Amino acid sequence: MRRARLAALLALALPACVHAASLTALSAADVPALLKPPARGERIIALWALDCAYCEANLRALAGLQHAHPGEIELVPVATDDIAQRDALEQRLQQAGVAGYPARAYAEATPDRLDYLIDPRWGGETPRTLVIRADGTRLGISGALSAAGLRKLQP
Amino acid sequence: MVLNAPSPLRVLSSAAAGATRRRAARLLLAFALPLLPALPAHAMQGMNMNMPKEPELGASAAFDAHGRLWVVDAAGGHVRLRHSDDLGKTLSAPVEVNAVAEPIYDEGENRPKIALGPKGELYVSWSQPLAKPWSGLVRFARSLDGGRHFSAPITVHRDHAVITHRFDALAVDGRGRVVIAWIDKRDMQAAKARGRPYLGAAVYYSWSDDQGRDFVPERKLVDHSCECCRIALARTPQGDVAAFFRAIYGDNIRDHAYAVLRTDGLPSHATRATYSQWRIAGCPHHGPGLAIGAEGVRHAVWYEAKHGPTIWYGQLDPGHPPRHLLKIAGAGNAHADVAVSGRTVWVAWNRVDAKGYALMLRRSDDRGAHFGAPVALAGTRGDAGSPQLLLRRGRAYVAWNTSGGFRLVAAGAGAH
Repeated sequence: MRRARLAALLALALPACVHAASLTALSAADVPALLKPPARGERIIALWALDCAYCEANLRALAGLQHAHPGEIELVPVATDDIAQRDALEQRLQQAGVAGYPARAYAEATPDRLDYLIDPRWGGETPRTLVIRADGTRLGISGALSAAGLRKLQP
Repeated sequence: MVLNAPSPLRVLSSAAAGATRRRAARLLLAFALPLLPALPAHAMQGMNMNMPKEPELGASAAFDAHGRLWVVDAAGGHVRLRHSDDLGKTLSAPVEVNAVAEPIYDEGENRPKIALGPKGELYVSWSQPLAKPWSGLVRFARSLDGGRHFSAPITVHRDHAVITHRFDALAVDGRGRVVIAWIDKRDMQAAKARGRPYLGAAVYYSWSDDQGRDFVPERKLVDHSCECCRIALARTPQGDVAAFFRAIYGDNIRDHAYAVLRTDGLPSHATRATYSQWRIAGCPHHGPGLAIGAEGVRHAVWYEAKHGPTIWYGQLDPGHPPRHLLKIAGAGNAHADVAVSGRTVWVAWNRVDAKGYALMLRRSDDRGAHFGAPVALAGTRGDAGSPQLLLRRGRAYVAWNTSGGFRLVAAGAGAH
């Protein structure tokens, strides 16, 4: 038990132990590019948080959906935790099986403001799934997606 | 001049200060602190890079019977207590409540609490994160000498498993009992061990009959609460402490329940009190507010997003939909608190837009039947914790912790 805990702490503390794809900062200035409709298909922005017990499963489900539609879905996990928590965030992304996606994390002194800029119809609850389609339409869903919810996201 | 029984009543209920649930992440590093000696030096370096530099915005405030303002927040592993005799313009040097540093949840819906006893006793509670995500212990310390010295912190509950016991809420009842309620996952863990489904967490509570020296063994109020929303507490006219909290009904419908927390040994019963029908398998991190008028009207505010983010006001009629339902605000508005004095009801909340935060207020002078238009009391381009309404001599104030410092904002006198 104690050894397991120590191993977890080491993984947390040593960036060299974690080989996630690039976790990059998301500030207010980056939001327009994130929300720009993709050339084709759809971008799924998977908003999640470390303190959210439902988020890991939701990330995993969205990765499954993306795998089924690789040419049409671009998946971007966005952590609403500060990027200063990079190690813990990357570890959790890895646990969720989404370490290969171009993940972002908030880098903003006023995170509620960033929530608002990303999706003014969102009150900050996680998980939140925001779909941006090539035709410019959007769909936002709060909570872990059910099978029916996932079907709604299909391109 | 006789004071309106102010703070002990209010702190309880209120608002999670704390701007941001999202910085909870930093706690993962805090978890590691007790084990640091076991880590190699280069690991410590990696961790230090991520240590927070500024205190989080999770704070609570209360007025004592003499009108002095008391504020608690956390910094460097200590809950710190400050006071102000000039309505928040200046704060005293901090006193450390816990002499030995420990990890402390101090953001979002999870923050240190303060309440006052009838003889000026200062009671402080907080949640201590442990080495697993979402785990914690509910901690408590008291001062019987006006904040000069605090007792060594105790863990309030008997169950010390490394699971969720957090989101503590603190109140003092009409007989001076110290009441603490929190969110607890022991029943969820037990169900999981038996391979049975269990939605959400549970609400447990305990109390102290001896000014916080000891607490009675905890008891469960109800199963299937939300996991991550603060519990609002307020005193009833009979002197009991009542709780209002987000609970789960059916398939992840996250409405709210109301219960009087009985301290006479008889069982307490939680009754559904909101019927918004918001279904979400997720973490709203958005608990309600409660204030009970002298005539017993239960003024409540809560958040739901079935048709988009909405803050509601209503007067609770447990078992039935609330009366005088009013949509206080929509998208971009969050973390409301409520206070009542005589005929006046105040609702304060944070509004955020592309420019930053505004501290918003609506008031009613007819016991909540009608509310005036929203008014912006203050603003900041920095970060802001959730507002907490406080009463002092019939006037309302909002405790608003921002990255620019703690602010006490006047919200006006009540109508009589």
